[in-house]
Amino acid sequence: MSAGLVGLSLLLLIAAAALAPLFARFLGRDAGYPLAGFFVAALGLLAVHAPAVLDDERVVLSLSWVPGLDVGLVLVLDGLSLLFALLVLAVGAVVMAYSARYLDPEASHVRVYTLLTLFGAAMLGLVLAGDVMLLFVFWELTSVLSYLLIGGRGGGASKAAATRAFLVTGLGGLALFAGLVLMTVVAGTGDVRSILADPGVVAGSSLAPVILALVLAGAFTKSAQFPFHFWLPGAMVAPTPVSTYLHAATMVKAGVYLVARMTPLFAYGGPWRTIIVLVGVTTAVIGASLALKQHDLKELLAYSTVSQLGFLMALAGIGTYAALAAMAAHVLAHALYKATLFMVVGVIDREAGSRDIRELTGLRRAMPWTAGATALAALSMAGIPPFLGFVSKEEAFAAFLGTPGPGWLAPLATTLAAASACLTFAYGARIFDGAFEGPLTQKLFDPRRSFLVPAALTALAGLGLGLAVSRLNPLARAAADAAIGAPGEVDLALWHGLTPALALAAAMVTLGFVLFLLRRRIDRALDPVDLPTSGARVFDRAYDATIALGRRSGAPFTSSVPAVHMGWVLGALATAAVAAWLAWSPGVPPALATDELGADQVVAGLLALGAAGAALARSRIGAVAALGIVGFLVAVLYVLLGGPDLAITQLLVETLTVALVVLVFRKLPRTFAAAGRPRRVAAGGAAVVVGTLAAAGTYAFTGRRGISAAGAYFLRAGPDEAGGRNVVNTILVDFRALDTLGEIAVLAVAAVGVTVLASSALSGAGTRERSLILREATRVLTPGMVLLAVYFLLRGHNAPGGGFIAALIAGATLVLQHLTGGVGQVRRLLPVSPPTLLAAGLLLAVAYGLAGLLLGGHFLQGAIWQIDLSAGTAKLAASLVFDAGVFLVVLGAIAAYLRTFGGDEG
Amino acid sequence: MTAAVIVGVLAAAGTYLVLQRGLVRMALGFVLLGHAANVLLVVSGGIHRRGVPIEGETVGRAADPLPQAFTLTAIVIGFGMTAFLLALAFRARRDLGDDDLEGES
Repeated sequence: MSAGLVGLSLLLLIAAAALAPLFARFLGRDAGYPLAGFFVAALGLLAVHAPAVLDDERVVLSLSWVPGLDVGLVLVLDGLSLLFALLVLAVGAVVMAYSARYLDPEASHVRVYTLLTLFGAAMLGLVLAGDVMLLFVFWELTSVLSYLLIGGRGGGASKAAATRAFLVTGLGGLALFAGLVLMTVVAGTGDVRSILADPGVVAGSSLAPVILALVLAGAFTKSAQFPFHFWLPGAMVAPTPVSTYLHAATMVKAGVYLVARMTPLFAYGGPWRTIIVLVGVTTAVIGASLALKQHDLKELLAYSTVSQLGFLMALAGIGTYAALAAMAAHVLAHALYKATLFMVVGVIDREAGSRDIRELTGLRRAMPWTAGATALAALSMAGIPPFLGFVSKEEAFAAFLGTPGPGWLAPLATTLAAASACLTFAYGARIFDGAFEGPLTQKLFDPRRSFLVPAALTALAGLGLGLAVSRLNPLARAAADAAIGAPGEVDLALWHGLTPALALAAAMVTLGFVLFLLRRRIDRALDPVDLPTSGARVFDRAYDATIALGRRSGAPFTSSVPAVHMGWVLGALATAAVAAWLAWSPGVPPALATDELGADQVVAGLLALGAAGAALARSRIGAVAALGIVGFLVAVLYVLLGGPDLAITQLLVETLTVALVVLVFRKLPRTFAAAGRPRRVAAGGAAVVVGTLAAAGTYAFTGRRGISAAGAYFLRAGPDEAGGRNVVNTILVDFRALDTLGEIAVLAVAAVGVTVLASSALSGAGTRERSLILREATRVLTPGMVLLAVYFLLRGHNAPGGGFIAALIAGATLVLQHLTGGVGQVRRLLPVSPPTLLAAGLLLAVAYGLAGLLLGGHFLQGAIWQIDLSAGTAKLAASLVFDAGVFLVVLGAIAAYLRTFGGDEG
Repeated sequence: MTAAVIVGVLAAAGTYLVLQRGLVRMALGFVLLGHAANVLLVVSGGIHRRGVPIEGETVGRAADPLPQAFTLTAIVIGFGMTAFLLALAFRARRDLGDDDLEGES
């Protein structure tokens, strides 16, 4: 048998999550049934390994994941994982089947089914993870999915509850992450088995207190231990299937699982055992007391879950063999009765329209089957023989009595655990009495059988497993063996003889019954009692204070004046420039002999005039004319510096920029709004400082070394390795094609942003008189310009040109068309929508990159195709495809700008 | 030296413009700052080799092609940035009646 089945089981659930939207769309709420089938199938795959695992074998699937960080994709199925995997998959299947009848038959359930299935996969991954980082990833996934499932479609209340739950478990998750990272560093490995095989390395290190405290913070928040318990009752705003699955049966047990898994570390020494046990039993008592106060059945069950989680946490914390075996039995017992109760409450809510035990009464007479299921679950919860809940509780008492550690711990823990058990009986009786006894006041019926079957199934399982409890021995033993790391013996039985644990259990049932009889008096006594503060209130205050602090610390930087923001940026840059000058200017090598041309100085002089004009012009047209002059002069400079590609690009961009600015100007006043004199003086000062620094930096850091090694390499290798003579183009589409891909992606995003920002109701066709000469000239020019664009695209690899330049030429053609015929004319010439062009270009570029990968090379690795023509051999580089992608994106961007700015308002 | 003057002048004029009122003037300022950055990038390759970097040019005389490739994309990206700022101005005009975000004060 291959370990691959374990991975397959996880993959099956992930596949189910991928299929869930399809199921939900075509089957509606019935999608729950096929999904339940997937859960059962996943369980079946694991069951193949069950015999070996129950023999204390470990099934390990290990794949390399992030070898650089030594993080492996390790899945381990041992006794403990098997126990929790059984829980996740069996309860998952039941909940899916329940959802198929609980959910509204009319509404769409794509979201809830997808998220629930995905959660099942994440939870399965969590209990199977054999690497701490993998465990953390699944841990966080469950938190995020829980947030999404609680927040659901609800309004403010459910959003607030979801946020609270997420922040508590999320902060705990961060603590866990820190703890696990430290653990990995100390142990030198992230492999859970290696860490636990030699617990002294971590638990005996000087960092042990920090590591274990951080891990416990994660476990306590996730499993809703006091004082972090408050998020769980809040989470009950989620739909019942979600509450049943996440917040009763599985996710909240992740903390218990983690503590049980790390038993060797916590048992190694130190105060950890005492801390966990005390936190656990305190949570158990507080949760049970609060449950006794609730009238809403779902809230009551939520506090009951808090209490039971405390009970389980304490058992995991004791860490003895007996305690872990009892925990294994109780995890199962609790999942069965709590899932039943949640589902039944959902049924009652649906049928009777209320969950308040003060409003519900006498349902036993109208809904006998529902009442039966509830009774079975409540009896198991209360710990009555022969239910599984009785066996697990008796085992637990025996374990509590045997708590190692300081002498006072065992009696204290046992007393508190017993108190919580007695309260459990009391509220369990209340649930049944409150809803089902008394006179019937409504006309009600049992629901359809298919609605009740899932709840009946878990209720009967609690009874059946209690009667045949010895069948659970191998599983409980394997789980305890795996947690402790050494084999032992387990004897789960209904009758162990007259033991102290049995006496304790009997006494607590009796006391609980008394509490139930005295319920009216207790209600009167408890109702006015309120805790001085609740965790939720403290949390909310801290939350609000954090938000307020953020707002206050952001206030100095909040302004509607753009210049204020620019001031910060420019100030920071200028400071950095001065610092760089002070740090590095002494080490600057002497300047090389430059061959400045007279033409350089002419260009510089004209540029200064143009820049000053652009800065100082009061009229918009004056400013844009000056800007155009500057742009053309920069292009001339590029020619002088030996960059024909740059010059062409610059010229075309300048033309298009001026065209765009003029299009925007049509809608604006002729002159600029003038800033006040203080602003002009300050801006002038800033301009002088920035200009001086920029000039000084340019002087100091350029012209002092020969050609860069990379540049020399590209010059040498470009023609041969990339198959093109134009080195600049080979860099763009071959050597550094990934950069180019990123850049055209940015361009596409900016174009979409422009479209969204400025989208307005603009009519398509212009009606203005256009110049006849211009129109005729355009008609003649357009075919030539389109051909020119194609020519530049094709030759770009060997001579100045390429995708950028070709697209700019084509874009200029569009501008001409726009000038003569408006947006309508542009649309006639280019009938494809700009977003289509953008997407097509990006897809083409990425597809080209992937082709390189598929052909056995790297992403974006190109080839050189030789095409034999009769006239000779044409060398065509495959990177032309990539350049065509660049072309499409740039053209799409220009078309988007034109459509956005160029529309005539109707 | 000439290159330093060009970069300095362009940066100064751009800085002055981005601190003015009105989004269009800011956009123009960014165009000038973009020119300054692009020219700096190109001259960082050195201005004592001015040959066009196309096969056939001797390595000793050809300009450094790497800054040129960077600058080429930078020019186009700068164009995208300009268009984005103009779209902001366009939107401001529609919502506020002007491209000036600072109102009358």
